[in-house]
Amino acid sequence: MQDLELLQDGLALMALGMGVVFVFLTILVISVTLMSKLIGRYQPAPVAVETGKKASSSSVSSAHDDEVMAVISAAVHRYRSARRR
Amino acid sequence: MDKLVTLWEGSGLYNLELGQAAMILVGLLLLYLAIYKKFEPLLLVPIGFGGILANIPEAGLAISALDQAIEVAKPAVLQQIAAALGATLDPLANAEAWRESLKVIAHDGVAPDQVRAARDIAIGVGYSNGMLYNFYKVAIGSGIAPLIIFMGVGAMTDFGPLLANPRTLFLGAAAQFGIFATLFGAVALTSMGIMDFSLNQAAAIGIIGGADGPTSIYVSSVLAPELLGAIAVAAYAYMALVPLIQPPIMRLLTTDKERQIKMTQLRPVSKLEKVVFPLMLLILVALFLPDAAPLLGMFCFGNLMRECGVVERLSDTSQNALINIVTIILGLSVGSKLMAESFLAFETLGILGLGIVAFGIGTAAGVLMAKLMNLVSKMPINPLIGAAGVSAVPMAARVANKVGLESNPHNFLLMHAMGPNVAGVIGSAVAAGVMIKYLG
Repeated sequence: MQDLELLQDGLALMALGMGVVFVFLTILVISVTLMSKLIGRYQPAPVAVETGKKASSSSVSSAHDDEVMAVISAAVHRYRSARRR
Repeated sequence: MDKLVTLWEGSGLYNLELGQAAMILVGLLLLYLAIYKKFEPLLLVPIGFGGILANIPEAGLAISALDQAIEVAKPAVLQQIAAALGATLDPLANAEAWRESLKVIAHDGVAPDQVRAARDIAIGVGYSNGMLYNFYKVAIGSGIAPLIIFMGVGAMTDFGPLLANPRTLFLGAAAQFGIFATLFGAVALTSMGIMDFSLNQAAAIGIIGGADGPTSIYVSSVLAPELLGAIAVAAYAYMALVPLIQPPIMRLLTTDKERQIKMTQLRPVSKLEKVVFPLMLLILVALFLPDAAPLLGMFCFGNLMRECGVVERLSDTSQNALINIVTIILGLSVGSKLMAESFLAFETLGILGLGIVAFGIGTAAGVLMAKLMNLVSKMPINPLIGAAGVSAVPMAARVANKVGLESNPHNFLLMHAMGPNVAGVIGSAVAAGVMIKYLG
């Protein structure tokens, strides 16, 4: 008789446990989907953000870019002349 | 000559009991599996070694001061202890019989303040808690070590694949069926009279099917500390065996065509989503399942440290140095539970058997759930990734990937399988919370 009770308890715990796990993870799925949608709407996609940053920074520092180009070409020149030797 | 006899009677060989010898062999077997077969060596080396230490005769490394005193103290001290415990010793019996009866009394239905008084006597005459006993009390008795490990696991987990395809959470949920089916199995074995498990013990055994070491240790330390040694050993041994246990079940339940299903590329996930996710999970736990808060709270904390990007040092420590330190102490503490009298029981065989069944059922449930989802959803889902729903990160995901590659050498499922894999960690922590709520 007591065994039957134990069996029933086990079955109840099994149903309750599986139920809670599924309900909780379902809520999690819904909230994750909602969160992703919200973030996607209010914050542009990460790729877009990066290009935006680049565009804004490049206009400010075109003089800087020229300097970098000069340095690079000097380095290439050095390297080539060194190899020829 | 007398001194020689004393020396001989104090030696390990003279005092070695059969059970202890057997457990030392078990410890050596665990070390062999860890060192030569590479079975979860990070845990099985400390566990195996701790098991050997715990069974050194007369050293009493894994027992409390009181037990130590009962085992070796002089008869006068035994009488004092008996008086403190409110027990009377049969004056006709010899000291050995006194020790036996005191051992039973001290562990069974004596008021806590009496036990405390007896312990004070034992400490007063110079006995102290064994080293491993102290490790166990601090690391597992308080519940700290598994939780810190969980924090480290959180700091190592990338939720990107899960966030890109949140529906894989269902696979992690389905695979938890292994836990509850095993719980029911243990209860059924009891009611058939084959084994003798209480509901608490059955729940602690079932959690092996969660394939998550720290969760298993945490749950069994709360629900069934007496089975902790066997449960931890089974959990880690089977986690190491995942590449052998899972593939036959996966092949049995899927057709070759299903195994070749290609899944669509995962979308990139923004940093903000990754930062928000642990916080959101924490709030959901707070709202719906406070009993899972210790496990999932530490998990979320570790993950937030990883993703927020401003506490690089803390994240690094919890992933490396801290988790390593805690693993050593946790392993030795688990080893301390491998004492002969508690481990060498018929029940241990039952736990080992049920544990492997738990893994099998969990795998099967995950695969079947993936097949079901494939029927109703537009996006194709390869059923193999369902098997990764039993946590065992990242081993189970690698197994899914490997079995997938066998059918189609250009089909890489690893990233897709990581989603259900980390979902399984959340799922088993939720299952643990439910069981602790219901039974604790």
